[in-house]
Amino acid sequence: MNPIREAELIETRRHFFGRAATGLGAAALTSLMNPGAFASSTASALDAPHFAPKAKRVIYLFMSGAPSQLDMWDYKPKMQEWYDKDLPDSVRNGQRITTMTSGQKRFPIAPSTFQFKQHGQHGAWISELLPHTAGVIDDLAVIRTVNTEAINHDPAITYIQTGSQLPGRPSTGAWLSYGLGSMNENLPAFVVLHSTVNGGFGGQALYARLWGSGWLSTRHQGVSLRSTGDPVLYLSNPNGISSKMRRKMLDRLALLNQDRFDDVGDPEIQSRIAQYEMAYRMQTSVPELTDISGETQSTLDMYGPDVMKPGTFAANCLLARRLAERDVRFTQVFIRQWDQHGNLPKDIRRQCGIIDQPCAALINDLKQRGMLEDTLVIWGGEFGRTIYCQGGLTKTNYGRDHHPRCYTKWMAGGGIQGGVVYGETDDFSYNVQENPVHIHDLNATMLHCLGVNHEQLTFKHQGRQFRLTDVHGKVVKPILA
Amino acid sequence: MRILSILLIMVLASAANAMEPISFNKQIRPILADRCFACHGPDSAQRVSDMRLDQQETTFMELPSGEFPVVKGKPNESELIHRIVSDDEELKMPPADSGKSLNKQEIELIKQWISEGAEWNQHWAYEAPQHSPVPRPIKKWQQNNPIDLFIQARLKQLRLRPENSADKETLIRRLTLDLTGLPATVEEIDHFLNDDSPEAYEQVVDRLLKSPRYGEHLARSWLDAARYADTHGLHLDNERSIWPYRDWVIRAFNDNMPFDKFTIEQLAGDLLPTPSLKNRVATGFNRCNVTTSEGGSIDEEYYVRYAVDRVETTATVWMGLTAGCAVCHDHKFDPLSQKEFYQLFSYFFSLTERAMDGNALLPPPVVKIPSESQTANQNRITGEMKQQAELVRKILAESKYTDPFSGDDYPAFEKSDRIWFDDMLPAGAKPAGNPGPWTFVEGPDHPVYSGKNSSTRTGNGLIQHFFTGATDPFVIAENDILFAYVYLDPDNPPETVQLQFNDGSWEHRAHWGADKAHGAGRNNASNKLLGPLPEVGKWVRLEVPAATVGLKPGAKLNGWAFTQFGGTVHWDQAGAMGALQLSPQQKESYAIWEYFLKTVSTAALPDPIKKLVAVEADQRNEAQTKQLMTYYLENVNPVTMALLAPPNQKQAELKKELDAIQKAIPSTLVMEDRKEPRVAHILERGEYTEKRDAVESAVPAWLGESPVDAPQNRMGLAQWLVSPTHPLTARVTVNRYWQHYFGTGLVKTSEDFGVQGERPSHPELLDWLALSFIESGWDVKQFQKLIVMSSTYQQSSRITPSKHTLDPQNRLVSHGPRFRLDAEVIRDQVLAISGLMIPTIGGKSVKPYQPAGLWKPVGFGGSNTSVFKQDTGEKLYRRSMYTFWKRTVPPPTMSIFDAPNRETCQVRRTRTNTPLQALVLMNDVQFVEAARRFAELVVTHGGDQVDQRIVYLYRSVLARNPKPNELQLVTQLYNEHLAEFQEQPEAAKSLVSTGESVRNESLDQTELAAWTMIVHLIFNLSETVTKG
Repeated sequence: MNPIREAELIETRRHFFGRAATGLGAAALTSLMNPGAFASSTASALDAPHFAPKAKRVIYLFMSGAPSQLDMWDYKPKMQEWYDKDLPDSVRNGQRITTMTSGQKRFPIAPSTFQFKQHGQHGAWISELLPHTAGVIDDLAVIRTVNTEAINHDPAITYIQTGSQLPGRPSTGAWLSYGLGSMNENLPAFVVLHSTVNGGFGGQALYARLWGSGWLSTRHQGVSLRSTGDPVLYLSNPNGISSKMRRKMLDRLALLNQDRFDDVGDPEIQSRIAQYEMAYRMQTSVPELTDISGETQSTLDMYGPDVMKPGTFAANCLLARRLAERDVRFTQVFIRQWDQHGNLPKDIRRQCGIIDQPCAALINDLKQRGMLEDTLVIWGGEFGRTIYCQGGLTKTNYGRDHHPRCYTKWMAGGGIQGGVVYGETDDFSYNVQENPVHIHDLNATMLHCLGVNHEQLTFKHQGRQFRLTDVHGKVVKPILA
Repeated sequence: MRILSILLIMVLASAANAMEPISFNKQIRPILADRCFACHGPDSAQRVSDMRLDQQETTFMELPSGEFPVVKGKPNESELIHRIVSDDEELKMPPADSGKSLNKQEIELIKQWISEGAEWNQHWAYEAPQHSPVPRPIKKWQQNNPIDLFIQARLKQLRLRPENSADKETLIRRLTLDLTGLPATVEEIDHFLNDDSPEAYEQVVDRLLKSPRYGEHLARSWLDAARYADTHGLHLDNERSIWPYRDWVIRAFNDNMPFDKFTIEQLAGDLLPTPSLKNRVATGFNRCNVTTSEGGSIDEEYYVRYAVDRVETTATVWMGLTAGCAVCHDHKFDPLSQKEFYQLFSYFFSLTERAMDGNALLPPPVVKIPSESQTANQNRITGEMKQQAELVRKILAESKYTDPFSGDDYPAFEKSDRIWFDDMLPAGAKPAGNPGPWTFVEGPDHPVYSGKNSSTRTGNGLIQHFFTGATDPFVIAENDILFAYVYLDPDNPPETVQLQFNDGSWEHRAHWGADKAHGAGRNNASNKLLGPLPEVGKWVRLEVPAATVGLKPGAKLNGWAFTQFGGTVHWDQAGAMGALQLSPQQKESYAIWEYFLKTVSTAALPDPIKKLVAVEADQRNEAQTKQLMTYYLENVNPVTMALLAPPNQKQAELKKELDAIQKAIPSTLVMEDRKEPRVAHILERGEYTEKRDAVESAVPAWLGESPVDAPQNRMGLAQWLVSPTHPLTARVTVNRYWQHYFGTGLVKTSEDFGVQGERPSHPELLDWLALSFIESGWDVKQFQKLIVMSSTYQQSSRITPSKHTLDPQNRLVSHGPRFRLDAEVIRDQVLAISGLMIPTIGGKSVKPYQPAGLWKPVGFGGSNTSVFKQDTGEKLYRRSMYTFWKRTVPPPTMSIFDAPNRETCQVRRTRTNTPLQALVLMNDVQFVEAARRFAELVVTHGGDQVDQRIVYLYRSVLARNPKPNELQLVTQLYNEHLAEFQEQPEAAKSLVSTGESVRNESLDQTELAAWTMIVHLIFNLSETVTKG
C-alpha cells in the first residue's frame, strides 16, 4: 500500500472513532464538516484540550424521573414541625408549578419519613436510604442547589442532556465525541446502557435524542449496549455464517473494494474497507467486554447480587467500569422509575435499594484500580421534587410533584474534590439560598474537568456557533480538586 | 484535509483577485459578520455602540465622536481600521474577551476594500436573482445546456477539465437511482445499451420522470424537511395518523404540481376559496411538528413552542433563513428583527389545535379521506339498506293487522323477578375467586335461601368470588332492579359487602357498609354506596337499581361478583326484578300496548314516538296514527316482528358493514384557523410568560413586499413566498435539487442562505437556475430534467488524485457525482433486486424487521408505541419511506445510515461511513433475506454456468459486467463456499431459512446457500451502496 493511501486509511479510520489519544483535535473534523470561507482563524473547536484535563472519561448515572432530594440528600429537620401545614405563599412566591398540582386546594408540607445521619469527615447529612453511598461520601461532591427551568420530564431531560428544552441539539456524549474524539479503536466513543427495574422496563420515557447527535455528524451519536439480543445492534453473524466464513467474505470484499478504488480513486472506498475491519473487530471486542466471567468474586460482591443479572443497574455499573477501562469516552447509564407522585416512601426505598450499593461499588472499584482520578462520575436526575404533598398526605405516605428550583446531584472522581457539600437551600428545599448551580453550570463543570472550556467547544450550525451550554454556564470552581 | 480545503479557497480567492476588485459580499461581509456583527450588527439589544456595520448607511455615517467607521478610499481615516490594527488593549477590536480576532490577511483585505472605494452591497441572497450573461462555450468540451457553460467557465478559469461522459451502464444506474431511488433492471439496461439513437438517454429520463417511483423518491427528502413521522415525538410518543399527507406529497411530485401551487397548498390549502379535501390534506405540512400531552404541561407554553417550530421550519424550507435566532432577540447576523419573527409567528399562532395532543391518534383539527373504493362501497351499502327498508314497508303494507283485543277490560300489570342464577352458574360462566375458588354449601347445616345450596366465603381483607364469560348474557331491561340474597354470619360479620356487574367492564359496583371494597372513595357508578351493612343472621335481599350503577337498558351482563371485606358471608339467588312489563300475548294487542304506555311508562320509547303517544288518540291526524301503528308493528307486535325479522337482520348486517367501512376510512391532521385569532406578542427572550408588544401577522418587508392583494393570513404568506420577485424561495429550492444530484448544494449550507451561511460556489449559475425555474412556471419535473440532461451531471465520477487534492468535495463539479446512497435507497435497492419489494404506493406505515427489544427499554409504559410488534407478509417489503417512524426510537437501519430522527426540520443529511453500517449490511436479516431471495433468481434466471450467473448478478446489482479478475475471484469464492456448505448442510439450511419469505424448495440447499453468500458479498460492496 502506498504511503498516501495509508495516511488516508488512518484518517478515515479516525472518522468514526474520532481521534487517537495522541491526536486530539476536532478542528480538522470541523473544517471537514463545515469549512466556511476563512473559518480557519476563528475555528473554536478543539485542536487540543484548552487546559490539562483532570478526567479522561465520564460515567453518568442518570436517574430518570427525578429522585426526591428531600428524602435522600437535602436534610430538612425543621419540616417535621410543619407536617400537613400549608407551604407559605412567601416561599412559593408565585413560581409556576405543574398543572398536576396547580389545581390542588392546599399545598401541605410532607416531611421526609426517613432518618438522616451525618457521615464522612465533614459530617454530611445522608438519609438512611443510602447506607452504601454514605460510605463513599468523602469521595463525592454533593451539589444541593442544582436548578433548571423545565417543569416536565420531556423538556427537562432534553434540557439537561442537550442544553435545550426542545429536540434537535446534540447530546452531551455527542459533544464529547465531537470535541475530544475516541481513545480506542474497537469501541464507540459514547455508549448508553439502560437498566431494568425489578426485571422489567417502565417509568418515564426516554428518547433517542438524549444520546443523539443533533446536527453534529451522526457518527457521534451514542451506541446502546443492550442486555438482551445483540449487545450492539446487528453484531452477530446470521445463522449459518461462521466466523471463518465471515473472515473469508471480508477478505474478498476488501480485495474487490480495493480494486474498485484503483479504478475510480474515491477515498471513501478506503474508508469503507476500514469500517468493515472495525466491524469485524467489534464482533470480538464487544462480547469480550460484556463477558464478566473474569471478574473476581470480591469485585462482584461489591456490586451486590443483581450484578449477575444482565441489564440491572448493578450489572450496568460494572459494565460502565469495564467500558472505562477500555477508554470509552462517555458512558451513560439510565435507570427509570423515580417519578414518585404518590407512594413515594415505598417506591423510593425500592429504587434506592437498587442503586445504592452499585453506585458505591463503582466508586470503590474505580478507586481500587486507580481510575477514579481520571474518571468523572456524575449522579442525578432532571429535576427535584416538591416539599408539598401531591395527593393524600399521611404520616407514612405521600407523593411529591416536580420541582425545578433546587435539587441534588453529585459528582466524583477526575477533577472533583471529594467530601464537599455545596450550596444551601431554604428550610423547605424550595429555593436556593446560596450558591445556585444551574444545569448549564453543571455541564460547564463537567467539560472543565475534561480540559474543555465550555465556551469554546462550538459547532457552527444555521449561521450560529452553538454550545452545549447555549449562552450560559459557569464552572463551579469550589467543587474542583 | 483542512490544509487542502484552505488551499482551494486560496486558489479560488487568488483567481478572483487576479481579475476582479475586492467583492464586499464575497470577501468582506463574511469577515465583518463573523467578527463584528454580534456587537455592531442587527441585534439592537447587543449593540454596544453607535457603530453599526451591517447597514450601508451606518457604515459610512459620522459617529457621535466625530469619526467615521469607513471613509471611502481612505483606510487611514476609517475608524474601523484604527480599531482593528490598534495595539491598545482598550481600543483593539474585536476585544480580547470576545474570543475573536482578525488575522493579517483579513486586515489587509479590509484595507484594500476601503482603498478601492468601499463598495457596499446588500447581502447577495437578499437581492433578487439577476440574469447574468451565459458564459461562452469552451471548444471541444461537451455542453448540453447552460449549466455546463457556467460550470465549465469556472473550471477553465482554474485550469481544470471536466471529465468525459460516464459509460452508458454507469449513466443508467446513476439516473435511475437519482430519479426513482431504485436500481435499473437488466431489461432496462439492455434496452438503453441497445439504443444507439441520440435520444436514447433523454428517453430514459422521460420514462423515469413518468414512473410513480419518481414521486416517492422526491417526496422522501421533502418529508425530512417537513419533519414527517408516525408518532407525536414528545413524552408518550404515541401514534399519529398523518400519512395521508405523506401520500399527498408523493402524488404532488408524480402529478408534477408546480412548486408555487405545492407551496400554497401546504401552507394555506385550507384558506383557498373552496378548499378541496386534498387541499386540506396538504396543510398537514405544518401539523407534522412534535407535540406533547405530558401531564403537568402548561398549554400556553406549548402553543408558543408549536408556532415557533412552524416559523423555523417554514423559514428554513422556503427561505434558508435561520429565523430561530430571532426568537429571543434580534438576529445577530441577518436583518430579521425579533418583532419580525413574532409577526411571522402570528401566522401560525391561531390554529384550532389544542396544546395537549391528548396522546390521540388524531388530535383535531382532522379530516376524513375515504378512498374511491370506500366511497363506492358506502354508496352500495346505503343503496342496499334502502332496498331493505322498502321491503319492510312492503311487508307492513301487506300485513292486515287486526287487534285481537276489544273492549275496555284492560289487564293489570305485575312485577316479576327474572332469576339469572340459583344453585348453578349461567352457561359458559368462568368461575374464579381470590383467594381460592367458589365454595357451595347446602342446608340444613348452612343457611340457604332458595334451591339446594348457597355460595359462601370467609377470610380477611378484600376477598370475592365471581364469574365472567356467561355465553347467554343477562340483558338489562328498563327500570330493572338487580338483586341478590345475602346472609351475614352474626359471629363473623364482614365490614363491607359489594356486588359487581360485568358488561365487558367491571366498572358497575354497589356496596353496603364501610367503603373498603373495589373503587373505594368514589361513590359513583363504579362503586355506589347503597346503605349500611344488612342485618346479620338472616337472609336479606340486596337491591341495586341498574341505572345507579351505570347499566342502561340493553346492557348485557356476562359476569357477576360477590365481594366482601373480611367476615363470613353467604350468597344466593341473583337476577333482576323487571319493572312492569307486557306479556308476549298482551303485546299482540295494539290497544293494550297503548294502554300500557298511557298508564305505566313511555320511557322505553324514542322521543318522536313518545310525543305521539302524548297526543290523545282522537287528536292524532292520519299520518300520526299511521306512524304510531308502524312503530308498534315494527317494534312491539311479535307476529309482525317475526315477519320483518329477515329484512331487519339484513339491515343490521349492512349497518355493521357500513360502520366497519367508516371506521376504516383514514383521517389526517390538517390546519385550521380559529374564528377569533389569538393575539401574538413579542416574547422577551422567547419566554411565553414575558409578553411585550402585540404584533400582527406580517412578512419581513426587507425581503420584498407582499403581492398587492395578498390577505393578511397564511395564504398571504404563501403568496409572498412564491411571488416571482422573492429573492430566496426559488434559489433555496433549486439549491436543494442540486444537492439531491450532486451531494452538495451550490450553497453548501442549504439550510442557511444568510450572512453566516456559505456563499454559493457558482452564484451566477444559482441565479440562472432560480430564474429558469420561476420562468418555467415552477415546473419541477422540467427542472430535474434540466439537471440530468447537462453534461456536467453525466460526467464520469472517476476521481483523479490531482482533482481530489484541489477540490476534495468536488464543489467545482469537475467530475460526476459520487457519494453513498441514502439509508432508504440502500434498503430499497436490495428489496427491488431480490424481487421482494411490494410496489404499493402509500397507505398506513408498516413495521418491517427490527431487532427485538428496542422500544421497551425507553418507552413510557402507557404509550401505545412502547412495544414493537413486527408486521408480517407484504408489509415487511414495502419501500423504506413507508416504515413506521417512531421519533423517539427511529428505525435503526435508517438512523445508522444517517436518516434524521424527524423531530425537527432537516434539509441536509450528514453522510457518514461507520462500522455500524458495515454491521447492518453484514448481518441485518433484511439484507441476508434479500440476498437469499436474489440467489434463487440467480439460480433460476441467471443461466446454468457459474460465470453466467455471476454476470447476471453483477448486472442486476451494479448494472455492469464483472471484470475478468472479479469474475475469477467471485467464482473461486463460490466454489469454496459451496464446498464448505456441502460439508455443513445444517449451516446451509440455516442460512437459506433467513427471513419470513417463502423459499423456493425445489432448489438445492447448499448451492443456494453458496449463492446467497455470493449475492450478500456483492450487496456489501462499496460500489453497491454508492452512486457513482
